[in-house]
Amino acid sequence: MLGRGVKRKWSCLEELELLPGAAVPEEKRQNLAAGGGHDPSMSRLQQRQLVLSLCVEKLQHYQAGVELSLRRSVLLINTLRQIQEEMRSDGTGTCTPEVLLHGVDPDSYLLTDDMSVTCSGCAEGDMESLSLSPPASPEPASQDAEQQKPLPTAVSNTLSDAGSAGGYLSDLALDDIFEDIDTSMYESSDLLSAWAAGSLWPVTSSLWWDEDMKLRPAGHSSAGSLQSCLMDLNELDHIMEVLVKS
Amino acid sequence: MRVPVLHKQLGPSHRQGEVEKRTVSVGSPGRVARTLDCAACLLSGASDAVIIAPRAADTEAPSPPAPPRSISDWLWRRQCGCGAPNASLFTRLPAPEKMKCFSRYLPYLFRPPSTILSSTCHTEADIISTVEFNSTGELLATGDKGGRVVVFQREQESKTQPHRRGEYNVYSTFQSHEPEFDYLKSLEIEEKINKIKWLPQQNAAYFLLSTNDKTVKLWKISERDKRPEGYNLKDEDGRIRDPSTITSLRVPVLQPMDLMVEATARRIFSNAHTYHINSISVNSDLQTFISTDDLRVNLWNLEITDRSFNIVDIKPANMEELTEVITSAEFHPQQCHTFAYSSSKGSIRLCDMRLAALCDKHCKYFEEPEDPATRSFFSEIISSISDVKFSHNGRYLMTRDYLTVKVWDLQMENKPVETYQVHDYLRGKLCSLYENDCIFDKFECVWNGSDSVIMTGSYNNFFRMFDRNTKRDVTLEASRENSKPRAILKPRKVCVGGKRRKDEISVDSLDFSKKILHTTWHPYENIIAVAATNNLYIFQDKVN
Repeated sequence: MLGRGVKRKWSCLEELELLPGAAVPEEKRQNLAAGGGHDPSMSRLQQRQLVLSLCVEKLQHYQAGVELSLRRSVLLINTLRQIQEEMRSDGTGTCTPEVLLHGVDPDSYLLTDDMSVTCSGCAEGDMESLSLSPPASPEPASQDAEQQKPLPTAVSNTLSDAGSAGGYLSDLALDDIFEDIDTSMYESSDLLSAWAAGSLWPVTSSLWWDEDMKLRPAGHSSAGSLQSCLMDLNELDHIMEVLVKS
Repeated sequence: MRVPVLHKQLGPSHRQGEVEKRTVSVGSPGRVARTLDCAACLLSGASDAVIIAPRAADTEAPSPPAPPRSISDWLWRRQCGCGAPNASLFTRLPAPEKMKCFSRYLPYLFRPPSTILSSTCHTEADIISTVEFNSTGELLATGDKGGRVVVFQREQESKTQPHRRGEYNVYSTFQSHEPEFDYLKSLEIEEKINKIKWLPQQNAAYFLLSTNDKTVKLWKISERDKRPEGYNLKDEDGRIRDPSTITSLRVPVLQPMDLMVEATARRIFSNAHTYHINSISVNSDLQTFISTDDLRVNLWNLEITDRSFNIVDIKPANMEELTEVITSAEFHPQQCHTFAYSSSKGSIRLCDMRLAALCDKHCKYFEEPEDPATRSFFSEIISSISDVKFSHNGRYLMTRDYLTVKVWDLQMENKPVETYQVHDYLRGKLCSLYENDCIFDKFECVWNGSDSVIMTGSYNNFFRMFDRNTKRDVTLEASRENSKPRAILKPRKVCVGGKRRKDEISVDSLDFSKKILHTTWHPYENIIAVAATNNLYIFQDKVN
């Protein structure tokens, strides 16, 4: 099953590549980086996987306090969607349905397809969440507790998409969309929702700041990256020190 | 097409012009540093940061000053991971050994203590972000990442030295935009100048529009070479005279003084853009202009700052459906009702403002169907148009996407009439360019005065020129090592495979951090200005 809060490693890709007896993915990746995208020995699947993980990485990584470029985000998400489409058309033929999510929501497609990649080569123990950052402290979650209720499902399904459907959210009324998704495995831990609250929220609010999104607490969107969430405590001390001095 | 000659190379220290050279002062613990001194850091005087070093000249390796012993307990020095020689970072608290510097600072108090206060290895504020000749070619404006505008003026040609054609010297320097903080979104607004556009000269003063991500400003640059003297109520030092001591009246007389060039902001056009402004364009009617961000185009009147009209809005009702953004827009050079805007999907739309108030329906739609043979994961990203320029005669449009420059005839929408490969050797490296984000670089393109040659930039400080008539092209390099003043530029060549000849450079040795994104061409003569990171190169035709 999906693990929680663990960054996906290359292990899935490793399993995949060990089958045809190809080289270790780490080297492959370096070859890619050095030799360019048209390495003839690299299969389209490997390149696709690399591009996919880069996409997600880029969408999730951002600097606190700096507004993201909308053009860049849109291009990344379109690329992600294109890969998603391709994986969907490739992957459904080879994957066993029982490990696929029952939800046919478009947001969950990416998750589904990644599971299909893993299940074709991996043991079941390798089902790890995609690119999950370390869980944030509970502080940001408590700030937004009331607004997170409709979101945890959407968030966990779409987090690997980071920027796709979840990132486009402009209002919070998502209950009706995600009703049919079996969410039992996602609501199992407080940690997951806390992490989801901590990590997706800054992503969505930074990616697509919408002038209509007045409901979002300004304080939370300023929390910025996870690192800054974790450093909140340090900051508080620092702030108190400054305030006391002045 | 003549081969250009290096005319002048101006580094950041040359561009200081009238900007006051500032000194360094360092505060002691527990007291804020009083003066605002590192021009690179632009830290405010009231901040609790410590100013470290004056801006390093780009010719010498910066030598970081040793922090005084009294503050060593709270000021830590770290090696920056950027690899520049003697690169030092100064932080308030212990930080990981290898940090990367960032010269952008956060202007509010609650910055996490382990970030950097200052660095000696990068002066990011000097990176030139736009260059533009004015309509006569007499003035050249550059905008940089630090929000400054530097204007160069061409010297009058002197009869005594006919072989020395007019050189460009610093005429005026001013701070156009300051960094701002958007409190609602808790995001900082960069002061980087995205675009400068000149207004045609109508009187003795010069006017230009400069914009950062959110605000457009109209600047007036005027000269003052006379000063009134002989006031009745003030004496020569400016002190008010006691009225009872005035026994006679006199008329103040204008006396000559040293030439002073002053820039004043005449209009500020703000609060009209939610997203980042990527381009501005002055209309041929000289009364209006458009400013364009990712999703909207707004029409302004130059006289009115509190209102603007939104003429294009591609924002979908549901942001989830957003797949395309506007990347650039420009007015037609002669028809004041026509403008074109380009998109991230490789299409251009031509709109007529007479048809409707909201120009959502285009008149013409230019897009080339994709070649299925070259389709890859990056097809969409490299098709994103980064610049669109009308030709001077108004019959053609030029667009720049990541690998090519295309010339479109306004009468033919289904394909461009000419396509030029700028650096097709990068097609095999798209994956690594995607990884290091270079694939998102936005290159500009420019026509020459007669629309016969087009020019655009590339990596490794290369820029390319294409002659539309002879179909010949040349690659040139803007770099200090290879160019001495008045030296003729040598054409460069990139080796794409097989044996590398002596002068060629192989694709893998290209430096992707040295990119030429901004270039401009004199409206009448063969003079070009090329911005290479923080250096400005001006090239002219060789005079025999």
